[in-house]
Parts: sequence; C-alpha cells; structure tokens
Amino acid sequence: MGFDTVLQILIQGLNMGLIYALAALGISLIWNATGLFNFAQGDLLTMGGFVMLSMFAKWALPYPLAFVLTVVVMGLLGYLLSQGFFYPMFSQGLHPDIIIIGTIALIVLVQNGILLLWGPHPQRFSTPLGDHPVHLGQIIVMPYYLWNIAIVVVLVIVLQMFFKKSMIGIAMRAVAQRPVAAALMGVRTNQLVALTFLLATGLAAVAGILIAPIIPLTPEMGSIVALKAFAAVLIGGLGSFAGALIGGIVIGVAEVVFATLVVPTYKDVFIFLILIAFLLFRPRGIFSSEISEKV
Amino acid sequence: MAKLAALLKHIGATQAIFLVLLLIPLLGVPSYQFYILERGLQNVLVVLSLVILLGYTGQLSLGQAGLVAVGAYTYGILCVNFGLSPWLGLIAAPLATGLVGLILGFPSFKLTGPFLVVNTIAFSEIVRILILNNEKLTGGPFGLNRIPTIFDGLKLYYFMLVVAFLAAIGTLRLSRSYIGLAFKAIREDEIAAESMGVHVRNFKLLAFIISAVLAGISGVFFANMSGYLNPDSFTFNESSTYLLMVVLGGMSNVGGGILSSFAVTSLPEALRFMVRSRMVVYSIILLLMVRYTKVLEIENFKRIIRRLWPTPPAADRDKGNV
Repeated sequence: MGFDTVLQILIQGLNMGLIYALAALGISLIWNATGLFNFAQGDLLTMGGFVMLSMFAKWALPYPLAFVLTVVVMGLLGYLLSQGFFYPMFSQGLHPDIIIIGTIALIVLVQNGILLLWGPHPQRFSTPLGDHPVHLGQIIVMPYYLWNIAIVVVLVIVLQMFFKKSMIGIAMRAVAQRPVAAALMGVRTNQLVALTFLLATGLAAVAGILIAPIIPLTPEMGSIVALKAFAAVLIGGLGSFAGALIGGIVIGVAEVVFATLVVPTYKDVFIFLILIAFLLFRPRGIFSSEISEKV
Repeated sequence: MAKLAALLKHIGATQAIFLVLLLIPLLGVPSYQFYILERGLQNVLVVLSLVILLGYTGQLSLGQAGLVAVGAYTYGILCVNFGLSPWLGLIAAPLATGLVGLILGFPSFKLTGPFLVVNTIAFSEIVRILILNNEKLTGGPFGLNRIPTIFDGLKLYYFMLVVAFLAAIGTLRLSRSYIGLAFKAIREDEIAAESMGVHVRNFKLLAFIISAVLAGISGVFFANMSGYLNPDSFTFNESSTYLLMVVLGGMSNVGGGILSSFAVTSLPEALRFMVRSRMVVYSIILLLMVRYTKVLEIENFKRIIRRLWPTPPAADRDKGNV
C-alpha cells in the first residue's frame, strides 16, 4: 500500500471523525451545562440532514442560505426543547435516570417524525463542489471531503473564539464550572441551558448536513451515529472541547482503517468494542489528566 | 364499589389483571387483536425483567432488545439448524441468555447511569450486527424461517399466560424477599448497602442474570408467535419502548408495568385510524407521559381515589385488614 492510499484513508477517516466530533461536542456541551447525556443528539443530527435535504435539494435554495436556515431552524428547535421539555424536568428535581429516559422518548419521537415527513428511503444530497473526484497530486478525493474539513475547521475556530471572548460563552463556562456561583453572579441558568441546547442542536444540524453526501440519510441512522459520538466523547474525556475533537477524529480514522484493512461489515462492532473498553478501563478518557478544564 | 375494591385489595391488582387475561380469549377476540394481546403478553416478560433490573436494582439498561434477540435466536438456531426439540430449546435459550446477562452485568460494577446505558446500547447493537452478518447461522437480513413451535394459537396463549403469571408472582415475591431488599438497598445507596453487608457485586450480577433469563423467555415466545425471526425486530426502538413501558408503569410496580406493557403495545394499533401520523402521535403521548411522570405517580391517583371514596375510619385498619 502506497503513501497516497494511506493519505486517502486518512482524509476519509478525518472526515467521518470531524462529523462525529461535532456531534460529540454537542453532547459534551450539554453534559457540562446540565450533567445530562443527551441520547437524542444523533437523531437531531439526522433531522438536521433531512431539513437541509428539503431546503437545498427539494426547494432548491442556494447552498449557503439553506445551510444557515437549517442550522437556525434546528437551533431554535433545541432552544424550545430545552425550555419546554428538559429544563422543566431538571427544575422538578426528577431522578436523573428519568430525564435520560426523556431523551430516549425524544429519540422515538424524532425518528417517527422523520419517517412521517421524509419517508423511510435512504436519501442524499451533495455540496456545491459536486460529485466528481478531484486529483490532488497522487491522491484522488471526493470534493465534499475537502468541503467538510474546511467547514469544520472554520466552525471550530469560531467556537473557540465564542467560548473565550464572548460574554455568553464565558457565562456558559461559568455555569459548567460552578453552577451555583454563576447563578449568584446573575447568570440566568435556564436561559443558558436553553442556549447550550441551541448551540448543541445547531452543531448536530451541521454534522447532519455534512454527513449526507458521505452516508445517505435514513430515519434510524441516528442511534449508531450517537453511539460513535459517545465513544468520541469518552475517549476525549467528558466535558472537554479539545477532547471531543480529538476523540471524534480517533473514532473516524479507526473506523475507516478497520473497514479498509479488516472487514467493512464489522466496523461498527469494532468501534463499539473500543467504546466498551474505554468505558471499563479509561472512563475519564485519554486526556483526563492533561485537560481537566471544562469547555 | 367498595366491596369490589376490597376484593381487589385481597387478591391483588396483578392477580386481577391475570384473571382478566384468562377470560379475554373466551369472549372470542378477532385474530389480529388476539395477536396484539399475545404481543402484549410477550412484552410483559421483558417489562418484568426491567422491573427487577431498573425498578428494584436501579440499573438503567437499554439492551433489553439485544437480550430478547439472544433468546429468540438461540431458540431458533437450536431448533432449525440443529433440530433440537422446542421444549429443550425453551430451556436452553433462557440459559444462554442468562449467561449473556452475566457478562453484561460485569460492567455495572464500574458504570452507573448514562454510562451503563451507553454500554448496554453498544451491546445490543453488536448483537444485531452479528445476527445481520452471520447469514449461515441466522439467515442474516432474510431472517430465520420455519421455526418449530411449542404450542400454537390458543394453547400458546395460555402457556404464555401461565409463564407470565408465574414470573409476575415471582417478581412480586422477590420484592419482599431478602434478595429483593438487597436489590433495593443497592438502588438507594450502594456504599450504604455494602457496609450493611450486602454483597453489591454478586447481587448486581444476580439482577442482570434474572433479568436476562426473563428477556430470553420472552424471546422464545416471540419466536413461537411468528415462527419467523428477523434482526429488524430487535432494534434500539424496541429497547426504548420496553424502557418506556416500565417507566410509565411506575418503575418498580409489577401491576402497573403489566398494564402499561399492554397499553403501550396496543396504543399504535388503537391509533391506526390516523394512518400515517399514528406513530408520531404515539411518541408524543409517550414523551408527554415521561415529561409529566411526577403527575402520573401512583400516589396521586390514590389520593384522588381516596377523595372520591373516603375509606371508613380506623375500625377497618385495627383489624389488620389493610
């Protein structure tokens, strides 16, 4: 196997990895703000992809407009979910397990909603760069791989700025680190939890838009993507920004490498075994000691 | 009315439900509705398995569909590929599932809450992918055909009823036994339980094994009902439905769990008039029920009942009837 093949596999893996990383970031953000594992993140991702399908492929809006609209629509949905569903459950002081089960009920709803609105058939759409393979020197890649990497890199930089510089970002980190102190300093917790859900759902929507050219969208794909995002979160260490990114990339590359070198049919089993191994032996992730600061 | 309530109190809600189930087929239920009834009964076993695991022991699991699949496929493979008699299959399948449950139980030593859930989902998905890809053994996506059955039709229903009844009574009695109390101690506080002399690890494993065996029996019944198995019947969706049934039934409440397993099984069928949107309406109902679990708690209903029919004062209670 030549160097160019290795590079090709790496680009492919990086692509899947960055998509998982976006979903993982959403999970991590929500975990930080509320201590809840949002299992519905994968299905919100699928839904984002389908909303984009309607806007871009069906209504033929220009790609950037459809992209922004999809993220806004999904973000608003996340906001409403938090205000109407999750936050009231937190403030009622329900057992955390019940709230987890609430996210599972949400999965059932989102999947059935997608099934009703978009039907059961796998569907895909592409990016403005089209579907013709590009030659970069020796290697041949699909143009949407490059597109996806560019978008995620820009997004991550913007997010970093947001968390470090903006008032809301700093307040979010404050709520994650010391919720009570943050509330005493005048941070409105319910608004911030809702904003976190907004951000996380928006990120999931971006991931859904980016995954569609690679894997056709189906109503039930969400749970497997969510599981891989969880693997990413756990490998990177819960609640860490950089950890979610690195974990996602590790999972994506591992998946593609396993599929190419061993057997493609068992690539999901391989990832899930990694996930279980991490749960059992390194539950705080690889970077637990280096990255102790939360997002 | 009061007499009926007293009678119900005497024989217990769970037993009353089974009495009704015993009589229903005598009314001559149409075959489709009868199938739904059978499905409900099959789900009762899974719900009981979760009552023990989640309700008593407090271990949240979303891998129940995987366990049901292990039970159903073990039965199917043994009977179809190896020509074992269905009765031996009925014994072997729950044993195999119990073994899988034992393995699934080990991670619970270290994991709680969401992490345990992730672990069980991963297990369930691995089972499904293995079934899907081992075509020689399981038939893969084409499914496993012509599975011999233990009983057919009405006989199967009554056989399932007897097994479910025994399981339900067992679960009820377990609740008050030494083992059940140990389970509940683990649910409330693991460290306190350990310091009171409860061997937490062994009891957790026991809970997982009992729960897996019940799920395995349910799987055998599933194979018996349709005579055909397909990996699509054991998805994440099934696991979440089972979990929702238990939660809506009040977690550790056997009678409530049984009722809600029939209610949730038949809800999509009752909504059939809304041809396309019925599954969405069904899931909205489930979502709202989880959102308002606090309101749906059994205590609230008891309070309403007490207000409607005030119990006669202390005299009754002194005799120890209550």
